[in-house]
Amino acid sequence: MFLTLIRRELLDNLMTFRFAAAVVIMLLLVVANTVVLIKDYEGRLADYNTAVKNHRQELLLENKTYSDGMLSFWGTIILDRPPNPLSIFNTGLDKRLGNEIRVSHIFTPTIWDANKHAADNPYFNILTSIDIVLIFQGILSLLALTFAYDAIAGEYEHGTLRLVLSHPVRRGYILFAKYIGAMVCLFVPLLMSLLLALILLTTSTMITLDTDDFLRIGGIVLTSLIYLSLFYLIGMLISAITRRTSTALILSMFVWGFLVLVYPNMILTAVDTAPQAAPEPAAYHQIKRMWEELERKRDQFLRNDPVPGEGWGFDIVDMEGRDFIFSGGDDKPSKLLYYTYVGSEFETIDEKSEPQVRHAQNFYGFIGPLTVNTVERTWLIRKPALETIYVEPANRGRMLLKFSPAGLYDAATEAWAGTDLNGIQDFFRAAQRYRQAVVNHFYDEKIFASRQWFSSDQGAVDWDTLPQFSFQRSDIGINAKRALPDLFLLLTMNIFLFIAIFLVFIKSEV
Amino acid sequence: MIWHITKRELYDHLNSLRFAFTTVLLIGLMIVNAIGYLGEHTAQSTAYQKKVSASLDKMRSNADSLYNLLTEGPGPLYKKPCPLSFCANGGETFIPESADGVGEGLFMTSSRFSINTTWRMKYPQSNPSLWDLMPDYTNVDWGDIISIALSLVAILFTFDTISSEQERGTLRLTLSNSISRGTVLVSKFLAALITISIPFLIAVLINLFLLYTSGSVPLAASEWGQLGVIVFIAFVYVSIFLGLGLLISSRVSSSSTSLTILLLIWVVWVVLLPTTIGALTSGLQPTMTHNELAARQQSLASRFFEQYDELWRKTPSREIPATEETLLWSKYLTEDARDNEKLNEEHLDAQIAQVQFAISITRISPASSVRYAIESLAGTGFTRHVQFLEQVRRYAGEFRTFLTETDRADPESPHALGPKEGTSQKPVRFESIPKFEDRISFSEAYNAAATDILLLLLFFVVLFAGAFLSFIRVDV
Repeated sequence: MFLTLIRRELLDNLMTFRFAAAVVIMLLLVVANTVVLIKDYEGRLADYNTAVKNHRQELLLENKTYSDGMLSFWGTIILDRPPNPLSIFNTGLDKRLGNEIRVSHIFTPTIWDANKHAADNPYFNILTSIDIVLIFQGILSLLALTFAYDAIAGEYEHGTLRLVLSHPVRRGYILFAKYIGAMVCLFVPLLMSLLLALILLTTSTMITLDTDDFLRIGGIVLTSLIYLSLFYLIGMLISAITRRTSTALILSMFVWGFLVLVYPNMILTAVDTAPQAAPEPAAYHQIKRMWEELERKRDQFLRNDPVPGEGWGFDIVDMEGRDFIFSGGDDKPSKLLYYTYVGSEFETIDEKSEPQVRHAQNFYGFIGPLTVNTVERTWLIRKPALETIYVEPANRGRMLLKFSPAGLYDAATEAWAGTDLNGIQDFFRAAQRYRQAVVNHFYDEKIFASRQWFSSDQGAVDWDTLPQFSFQRSDIGINAKRALPDLFLLLTMNIFLFIAIFLVFIKSEV
Repeated sequence: MIWHITKRELYDHLNSLRFAFTTVLLIGLMIVNAIGYLGEHTAQSTAYQKKVSASLDKMRSNADSLYNLLTEGPGPLYKKPCPLSFCANGGETFIPESADGVGEGLFMTSSRFSINTTWRMKYPQSNPSLWDLMPDYTNVDWGDIISIALSLVAILFTFDTISSEQERGTLRLTLSNSISRGTVLVSKFLAALITISIPFLIAVLINLFLLYTSGSVPLAASEWGQLGVIVFIAFVYVSIFLGLGLLISSRVSSSSTSLTILLLIWVVWVVLLPTTIGALTSGLQPTMTHNELAARQQSLASRFFEQYDELWRKTPSREIPATEETLLWSKYLTEDARDNEKLNEEHLDAQIAQVQFAISITRISPASSVRYAIESLAGTGFTRHVQFLEQVRRYAGEFRTFLTETDRADPESPHALGPKEGTSQKPVRFESIPKFEDRISFSEAYNAAATDILLLLLFFVVLFAGAFLSFIRVDV
């Protein structure tokens, strides 16, 4: 009996015009947008490859000494964040946040210190393109509602419900059959469009997806299915309560408008207009004081060392009689970034200056570890302060978004794709670990106190001896862990709605 | 008779559930819009004033010698924020707010002389919100409300006007009276238009009341005029979708099919075309990629290097008339600034052409047209940016002429603009320097919007004529 019911529902839905329309809409939207998104991704990947090549070249060309590579502003060690191929499904923050970060022992790299490599035509961003998840989020949910609004109300109106119930069929079975029938029908356009998107993805030679990526896409499909079912159930509940198709339809449309269009923008406008952090947070002054302490210690060292004068060039001159010393810093209160550095750079060293070299080595052997130490201490303050100022309001906004299923869906798929804040942070955590590895390498090889720190007269630095940076996106297990809470919430909503529909339907008179 | 039927339809609509929901939806959206833009304009204006005065202060300090003005240029030129940005923010996060007229600083120094480059125009590319971790969202503007919400509402009010009367048989009843079908159609159209305009106008008034009384948006007579035209455009746009709804509703006998077709068209027009088509066309009108730009800058530099390889041995001097060596320096520095600026402008023009081509393609959707029309009228968006850039170029010319003429007026200068020795070093009266002021031209705003308004009217006429023809042939 149950199977008969399902078959009836399935045929009912499949033969309708709206099923054909749903398939056409989804195919049209997904294919057109996938083409655009793939092009965009390929562009970003090409930019990334160029940037990696250029950064490497500049590092090798411009830097002869360690202090040059660490301190100067030109051609230093720069790490590039590769674009995420799954950003085609959900762009998230992948495209927007910075994608090149400088690594140096004088500061801890974070999202806020990152830059972006140039794009061909940034004006083009005003023609925003939408990603696949956004299509599902907006349009597929609308389709689910058009399938659901007359599921129960329609049968009331036609009187067919009375007919069905005159048979010995449980009401729960009828509901379940309707649900299954419609979900299968909705799943068809979803799957077809996704398959086409995947085919398009595989035709692109620049995009390579591994097994984990396919599992992640599987996660996105699963989440989409649950999200779709949620909207179908919302429509069904409205249909069961109102009992009139025209009322149910109008009500469904407005509920959709509210959940998908109004609520997300409204709540974020409200959060965004909330009071902003002070331009110079208290933590910034604390950080600045630590660096000033470092400067005091440096000056004290220079006063106490056996060399007269308090310069850090130690009057070393090269063959042509030049002495080249540099100092600088960065002062960005809004990013809580503050640091100062001193250094010098020589290509050749005059023989007469040779005795000074030992003192310079001593000094840089002292100031290097002291700087690293100061960075570590300021990081203890900077990290929580950045969290409070930037991450927490953003997370609050994300939390509030989750009151709408659209927000939950977006968050879950972002987590699967790895384009959420955590996914981006992964890269910067890797950059921080890499910086630590470089610093450790400096300690191990006693590079701070080496001659090569400031002079290339005995050969330029071989940058290949440095630890190599590699970044792997987090594995599927972590993606799943990040996505599961939201997925679970969506599932719970589904169950609650189903129970509610069941209760309404059971009590209603035919 | 037409008013009689309109009145009947109107009562029907006003008592319906969808009217109540429309009211709530539109008022809610308009309030969200007002709250989102409450302090926006004041903050933008203050920031603008601050930046402009900083730029002018710099210019004042450079005015102590003409040479400084020549090397430093007029400084960054800023775009004035528009009070009507709440109507359409026009993707402003993606559009830069300034153009820079600056020099590159020190070019060459030796014991004999020191040379700074001459100023040239540069066009920065916007790189918005690099450390904003907030999830993406749109600060809802009138453009969104009109193009998305209002069109959906228009569809919901018309999808069953004719098909449901057919289903219920009331259409036969109405037409059995001596009424022309045209009258019925027009009155149905008018009723729906009036029904939608009531909550829309209320929402607009609430929105303007909030913005106006909070003092955050100064609205002068011209702004009220623009707002009036924007509301008119909204009516034309709604009429398009009403016409579409009537057309489909009279072609299809069942309401649910009619709704499905309408939603399909709505999705294509409002969601698909404005976003996707534009991006798809980028390949048809290729721009100068940044690698290409870098390569051309490189080749320009090496061309100069070859052409002027003797330059560094020549010493400019203050002799009058200018020596051959001073003139050579002057020639080089002028050419360097001119050719690099030309390259920057070529790059910018290619980018603009690409975007304008994409924009004109997206106009096949009325949702894009209405958005561009509102943007033009509100003085935001890409059209406005192009107007700003035109003013910048005109001003750059003025500034350059001013430098040449002031130098010519100085008898102690060798009139070889470029190197310090060849240029007048007299202080310049700050007041006499032309200043850049971004003017928002209303006639240009209306002109830019005119094409889109005409396009929208055309859409309306075609769809309404279609609805009329198909309603005439409906079998009752």
